[in-house]
Amino acid sequence: MGIKKVGLNKNVAPQSIVEKIFFLDFAKGLKTTIKHLFKRVITVDFPFEVIVPAIRFRGVHGLRNVDGTEPEDFASWVKKLKIKPPEKGETRCIACKFCQAACPVPEIFVIKAEKLDVPEDHPHHGLKVLTQFDMDLGKCMFCGLCTLACPTACIIHTDVYDLSSYTRRGAILNKEQLAKIADDFIARRGKEKFDEHSHWPDTQKVWPEYDLARAKAWDNNPPVFGPNYQDQE
Amino acid sequence: MSWISLEKIKRLGEKFSYANVIENDKGFHSIEVPKENLIDFLTFLKTDPDYSFKMFIDWTIIDHGQKADPRFQGVLILYSPEYKERIIVKTWATNETLPSLTGLWTGAKWAEREAWDMFGIRFEGHENLVRMFLWETYPYHPLRKDFPLRGIEDTELPSLNEKERMDQLEGTMNYSRMHTALPTLEDLEKTQKARMPQKKAQVVLNWGPLHPGTHGTIWFLFDMEGEYVKECDIIIGQLHRGVEKLAENMNVQQIIPYTDRMDYIAAINENHSVCIAAEKLLGIHEKIPEKAKYIRTMMAELSRINSHLLWLGTYALDLGALTMFLYTFREREKLMDILEGITGARFTINYFRVGGVYADLPYGALDAIEHFLKDLPKRINDYETLLTRNRIWLKRNVDVCIITEEDVYDYGLTGAVARASGVPYDLRKIDKYDAYGEVEFDIPVGEKGDSYDRYLVRMEEMRQSIKIVKQCVEKLRTMSKNDPYFYEPEDKKMKITIDGRGTKLFKGEVYAAADNPRGELGVYIYQPKDGIKPFRFRLRSGAFYNLQVFTKAIIGRPIADAITLLSTIDPVVGETDR
Repeated sequence: MGIKKVGLNKNVAPQSIVEKIFFLDFAKGLKTTIKHLFKRVITVDFPFEVIVPAIRFRGVHGLRNVDGTEPEDFASWVKKLKIKPPEKGETRCIACKFCQAACPVPEIFVIKAEKLDVPEDHPHHGLKVLTQFDMDLGKCMFCGLCTLACPTACIIHTDVYDLSSYTRRGAILNKEQLAKIADDFIARRGKEKFDEHSHWPDTQKVWPEYDLARAKAWDNNPPVFGPNYQDQE
Repeated sequence: MSWISLEKIKRLGEKFSYANVIENDKGFHSIEVPKENLIDFLTFLKTDPDYSFKMFIDWTIIDHGQKADPRFQGVLILYSPEYKERIIVKTWATNETLPSLTGLWTGAKWAEREAWDMFGIRFEGHENLVRMFLWETYPYHPLRKDFPLRGIEDTELPSLNEKERMDQLEGTMNYSRMHTALPTLEDLEKTQKARMPQKKAQVVLNWGPLHPGTHGTIWFLFDMEGEYVKECDIIIGQLHRGVEKLAENMNVQQIIPYTDRMDYIAAINENHSVCIAAEKLLGIHEKIPEKAKYIRTMMAELSRINSHLLWLGTYALDLGALTMFLYTFREREKLMDILEGITGARFTINYFRVGGVYADLPYGALDAIEHFLKDLPKRINDYETLLTRNRIWLKRNVDVCIITEEDVYDYGLTGAVARASGVPYDLRKIDKYDAYGEVEFDIPVGEKGDSYDRYLVRMEEMRQSIKIVKQCVEKLRTMSKNDPYFYEPEDKKMKITIDGRGTKLFKGEVYAAADNPRGELGVYIYQPKDGIKPFRFRLRSGAFYNLQVFTKAIIGRPIADAITLLSTIDPVVGETDR
């Protein structure tokens, strides 16, 4: 059944007298320590050097705006939920509240959409627009379920991890702040995370190879990335 | 599957007229016994050579709601090491009392205290039935169905910055000044007195709740005669967050992030347990895509290495070898990088889903793992040169705090602690969940059960994990990128989603477990009808039962051995407290 016995007389020999007298156990230990003494430093000098988080990293949330890379069924979702069709630069959020339904702590979200106050002959009559999207990150577990539930790829995780505030109120982000975080992230690393229409492109790497600080933590000998599966390029 | 066969359990039903066999369509048969006959029946189960259910696994309560009569039901899970089978024995707790099982299995002591704490069931014959997690003066029993999820908010606790900065916080994002009860110093004093009602010796030494040697918020009480411990008790619960109560109010995919916060050192393995249990309840555990199975096995083993590296570092640090901590954390950092790249988080992983994993491996993941594994065996050899035959290390570990085979069965010890005592209890071999049936590895088994054996077993486990991961990587290389990594149900009645919305559990009950670095984390789900939320979600924590043996193994040892023993048992407080 594949049992391997371990124990002091099984796979480890007890100390011999010679070892005891000449302190050979200490000498061997010291040899290992001295070997490590001449290795290069592996610690990262934060905050002067910063490791770039992996592209899948689940940091502070962002709300993406319409930029032409929406999923194919975006228009039909907008129609279904009677949302005013957003123009470029407006939020993708269609107030479907799927994120809230998927969230283990639904009190995090306050999402409200209101009907537009326009005359009856206006094309947008009867349609809604997102007025409030607040997230209380003080309660968030960063589990990522909301981003998986979002049908329009609107709510995303960015790589921002340094969030702090002096008061509880600072942990609550509104939709403008969230949109700004997402815009910044997309401008910096959007190409790494998303391709034309996919949330999980094949080309997403374990971590960015240009990151020198991380290479240092890998004994200056980081792995070279290749394809995982035999039919991957 | 390691469960008692139907004919065998039916023979039990024929032998005892009062016993009532409950068949289960998924194979998890159980037997119901009236509480008057419980002790006789269990004595038979334990001692009869045809059954020999010697090993205690779990003893808990189901609350069937206020309207049911009788309302509470005891659920006992036992394991037979000879036949490699499990059984569930159920009994109704009429008048909210049950007979105590501490005479048969000492390990029931804490289980019963927990049941009293959470459900208010009194156990007749228990030597000192005090609360397990909460303080002694707490008036409620929170896992009862009539206790609200939010708790009873009866204590005013204004925020600090509301007082100092004069901020008006009320109204902002459901901030409330009223909180659930908190223990005062007086309450804690009463709790401490109740835990050790009779002093045997001169001095009661308090260790913890916050001490770097305890690896978390555990509070130890040592009754000491000179330097030697005469009696010991542990006050846990400072990290109790009521995961079981929370789990009863959400769908199963949403429970997974909560289990991340239990054993935060090996979060992946915790997620694994929940996934296995839910998949067995849905009956899809054999239909999980092969790629998902291999990815899960690989990640679980990486997480085991991660956990053991942290254990080794802190264990050696506690015994005075500071260098070790720096060395293991260097390797651990690489492993964390890999986990971060694949799952999106370094610590609270939430990567596994009921039905597979949430995303395929990113580009280059297998290369990174292979690169890491190439180096690791050399490093482990380095660690062994430093420690294994060092005379100080030998003096502090050999023959220290022996845990015998009997203790393993009595206390329900699992994981490396059980294996070091000579019991080859490894669920990876017994249950063969996920891809463990298809990879080759050995179970390291110790002889004496002293601290040194536990150390050697864990070191060997790391090497075996490397072996498993290598086989998984090899297998994954032969797969295609278009292979599915998540199970899409064909059955119309079943709905499983990656984000969890609408994921339904079927009627039935299940006990399934995974072998975690800290022992067996078992998940018992009881579901009287189909539904999204589990009716009873019991987490059988390996670390909780392993920690219980501390109170026995330390008796008669000098206080300095407490550190060695605690490190080699290796509990994580997040998991013991849940």
